[in-house]
Amino acid sequence: MAGGQPISNLRKVVTVVDEVVLELGRPVAAPVRRVAAAAVIRNPWAGRGFVADLQPDVEDLAPGLGRLLAGRLIETLGGVERIESFGKAAVVGLDGEIEHGGALIHTPYFGNVLRELAEGTSIIVFSDDRLAAGEPLTVPVWHKTAAATRSHYQTVQIRIPDAPRPDEIVVIAAAASGPRPNARIGDRRSDPVVRLADLENAR
Amino acid sequence: MKLRKIITLTEDIHTEGGRPVDPIARTAVVLAVIENPWAGQGYVTDLLPGIDEIAPQLGELLAPRVVEALGAPVEAYGKAAIVGLDGEIEHGSALIHTLKFGDHFRKAANATTLLPAVEKRAVAGGAFDIPLKHITDATIRSHHQSIEVRVPDGPRADEIVIGLAAASQGRPQARLAPLASEQ
Repeated sequence: MAGGQPISNLRKVVTVVDEVVLELGRPVAAPVRRVAAAAVIRNPWAGRGFVADLQPDVEDLAPGLGRLLAGRLIETLGGVERIESFGKAAVVGLDGEIEHGGALIHTPYFGNVLRELAEGTSIIVFSDDRLAAGEPLTVPVWHKTAAATRSHYQTVQIRIPDAPRPDEIVVIAAAASGPRPNARIGDRRSDPVVRLADLENAR
Repeated sequence: MKLRKIITLTEDIHTEGGRPVDPIARTAVVLAVIENPWAGQGYVTDLLPGIDEIAPQLGELLAPRVVEALGAPVEAYGKAAIVGLDGEIEHGSALIHTLKFGDHFRKAANATTLLPAVEKRAVAGGAFDIPLKHITDATIRSHHQSIEVRVPDGPRADEIVIGLAAASQGRPQARLAPLASEQ
């Protein structure tokens, strides 16, 4: 169906939120909540051998996944205005192709839906892998409107003990409500000019 | 209490055994990573002062959060204490096996039964299973279940992870005979 809802063969949805209160015993100046939301679905290409044209299933599934997961991020952080950074990921079960995961997260049918609902403009940073059930995946996030904002480079880890099965895919969206705990490594605007030649001359 | 971080996790099961689960079964877990209040003190004989100080704070922190994360009436519940490598399991038990901790959850969930628990010592990132049972009748077999969780960077050797778990219903597709039918 147009827009891809409801999501067929959705097995479970897992959300994890991480709030850091102290870092090395010091209060976090700008408290941040990092969230990852994951949907476990049957790999639509499972058992079909090599499928040349992935597009029909992408159009069917990806927008619904984008809506579902963006909704979870917004709900968990308490409003779209609290999303400062975002990311995405796919974990393909052992019998699938990495390309299957890429198909579900790297096209506008997922990315544009997530970006629009999160009210972002940046390209969305990602990770992907093919893994056994229960392996953790680290998902990067960066700023949703200014991707080069260094304070917002961080990651959130998610792990689902019983997924993905070999014929499943875990599709993930992630977000954070602010910068890294006690971020203090400057930014592009504050950096001195660093060139390899200068570093070698200084030795 | 030196609280380092809080993890909140929800799991919604939409299908099990290939069949829809209706209503969707939700389990929620909230974990607090704190400094072990007895770390670096050698063998402490009397744990009561630490219990009196910390256990109520943990109950107050975690109980409302896990009920809110569940977003539905609690039907089954459980608790956890995972002690970092330098501590005693007794330190974790001290913080969760007291009414000063458990009654906060019991009250928030309108529950009456004992909270089933997992206590262990583990490395940071070690997985653990929190058992859950029915909140007013621990013999209701359909509600015996567990959820596996972990904190990637906790507990450090001098920390303890304390957790609560709540479920909105029994096991998805539960279809075992009630205990009473065997008696």
